[in-house]
Amino acid sequence: MTTRFGRRSILQMGGGLLAASALLPRYAFAQAKTINYWHTFTSQSEQAGLDAVRALFTAAHPDITVIPENIPNPEFMAKITAAVVANTRPSVTMVSSERFQDLRAMGALTDITDRVSGWERRGDFDDSRFASITDDGKVYGVPAFTFVDWIYYRKDWFEEAGIAVPTTLAELHDAAVKLTDPAKGRYGFGLRGGPGGQNPVINMMEAFGSPVLHADGTIGLDRDKAIEGVTFYASLLKDGAAPPSAPNDGFRQIIEGFQTGQTAMIYHHTGSYQDIASKLKPGVEFGTMAIPAGPVTRVARLAYAYNTITKPEDADAAWEWIKFWGEPDAAVAFLEKTGYFPASTVAAQDQRIVGNPMYAAAAETLGFGIPQPSFPGAAGWAESTVLPAFQRVLIGDATPEQAVDEMIAGLAEASQ
Amino acid sequence: MSRALYTAAPPRTVWESINPLRMIGELSETRYWMYLLLLPSALLITAVVLYPTLYGFQMSFREMRLNRPDVGTDWVFFKHYIRMVNDPIFWLSLRNTAIWVTSSIALEFLIGLTAALALNRNLPGTKLLAVLILLPYFLPNVVAGHMWGLMLDPRLGVINDLLMRVGLLDGYKAWFADPKTAMAAAIIVESWHSFPFFTLLIMAGLKGIPADLYKAADIDGAGPLAQLRLITLPMLKTIIAAAVILRVIGLVNSPDLLLILTSGGPGRSTQVLSLYAFQMAYKDFNFGYAGALSVVMFVLLMGFAWIYVRLSKVNED
Repeated sequence: MTTRFGRRSILQMGGGLLAASALLPRYAFAQAKTINYWHTFTSQSEQAGLDAVRALFTAAHPDITVIPENIPNPEFMAKITAAVVANTRPSVTMVSSERFQDLRAMGALTDITDRVSGWERRGDFDDSRFASITDDGKVYGVPAFTFVDWIYYRKDWFEEAGIAVPTTLAELHDAAVKLTDPAKGRYGFGLRGGPGGQNPVINMMEAFGSPVLHADGTIGLDRDKAIEGVTFYASLLKDGAAPPSAPNDGFRQIIEGFQTGQTAMIYHHTGSYQDIASKLKPGVEFGTMAIPAGPVTRVARLAYAYNTITKPEDADAAWEWIKFWGEPDAAVAFLEKTGYFPASTVAAQDQRIVGNPMYAAAAETLGFGIPQPSFPGAAGWAESTVLPAFQRVLIGDATPEQAVDEMIAGLAEASQ
Repeated sequence: MSRALYTAAPPRTVWESINPLRMIGELSETRYWMYLLLLPSALLITAVVLYPTLYGFQMSFREMRLNRPDVGTDWVFFKHYIRMVNDPIFWLSLRNTAIWVTSSIALEFLIGLTAALALNRNLPGTKLLAVLILLPYFLPNVVAGHMWGLMLDPRLGVINDLLMRVGLLDGYKAWFADPKTAMAAAIIVESWHSFPFFTLLIMAGLKGIPADLYKAADIDGAGPLAQLRLITLPMLKTIIAAAVILRVIGLVNSPDLLLILTSGGPGRSTQVLSLYAFQMAYKDFNFGYAGALSVVMFVLLMGFAWIYVRLSKVNED
């Protein structure tokens, strides 16, 4: 039997197909959504961590596609500022706590107070986790993970030299000097005097009694105490315990210096754990210690990386993505790939974390760690004033007194 | 045939009077055609050059701090310029910019001229060498910066290793951590990256110099150096002037290489004006002051180009 198609039947079929095509895509793709995610992950371990979280998210939300876009840290503020001014914002942006106030002030972030209040996992997070992303009672992000400051040290070298793990900054200095042996190309402390080195300087000043941001919200430095902090920190290089390259050493240099057996200690956070463990044996060749106490206080930062909604049009899908980072499985998957600690207190109690002795120092730090000082202009002041002033001390171009005076003047200008 | 030429043209149909191709054809015969052809470029330049430049100028007279909306965006007139006069970092950056630009261009010109003269001999293999010599210029600044950052790395860098093997260094040298060597090292990297620009332009210029001039000079007993001084360089004057002006503009305006290699450190020893303006805008979010710095750079560059053209007397040719 032969089927014959007449003009009428072809028109009828075409009409039917047209009607179906108008309905089907709406049914199939009504919920499909693509969002882009700006982040500052750069290392292989961080990329692996992000991939792991995305894989879990895709399984849970097949209707939402996340397109990650890496923005290197040094360029981050330039790019996000340009995106805000030009209104080409990404759907979701990762924001570290010290950048929050600048981004909020320029109107980059969306108020998500109501969404966070109604979130079923809000109870998993201590209120303090939201403090650095809250302004005037409004919440602008969800904590994704925690940068817990700690120190990596060469356990085998310490044992070989019979040196106990330092508990004070004075002990740290002594240990660094003792472990230095230029003939072997060994230095006691991998001092970060280049890009990113400003935060330890601020921490040292605070450990010696000069916080930048006071309890009553006022901003300012105690000159004498700050000078003591800067003098102490610079003495690690002056006393030969840090590599001569310290004034220009950034993240890559200090990590490579430690990985390749040139430095005995480095000050960083938990996020570089997997990178270091890929070269040195955890618990055998290297260990982790909580930041030692200063003469006045013990300063270790608990900085949170927040996921924020920067494009209100994509808010619903973006909210699904940013809250997913609070799921224990996602947080632990990310930790296992990177070493970044979960921000969720429930996830931090996971047996995979508490059962690992290498994380004990991070767990201890959660008890006394404090957030970064945050106010509009803080990040710029730290990077453009504190770091160059400290570098000038390292290279002998300024005294600690001159450097601190420069920092005080810069701070006054930034907070004007 | 010839009579037909003088007969009146038949009246146009409606289509002929509105045919756009015919209208364009007729317009192309008028003096307005030139303006029409220039219009797209003029619009483009207005949109991407003129408007941003004027906007930058007006921004330098306003308070414009992105992270401080509370201070507003009022006109502050010469506030930023007065601040600049009293800003020691501005003066240091200006001095460093002069060193950075002068030294880099001198080195680039010398290497570029030498390479161009060598390649112009048309010896076997020069075509391949020309391609190899031009390779650094094809690399983006970011790639060149990171590559040299690794090569000069104190611990892992191949340069330190080679210098130690040949006995020129006792121990590794942290080139970018020492203010005595940081600028010099950056200048070498910049010169390596950009000397092919001079090579390329000078080679093009060399091709245009008549060979008869050199033959005559040979007969007169002029040696290679005399020929270079009396024939080659004067004949290349216009090209060299253009190349120098373009490189000065490029070097003064782009902070990327120094941003990657030193970030202006250690202790601001490699801080230049463009880097300072970039940091003011994107670290401190003070676009008003950054705008004022950019305007000063703009005026300095205009002044330089004018003086340089007059001194080099290229227009007298």
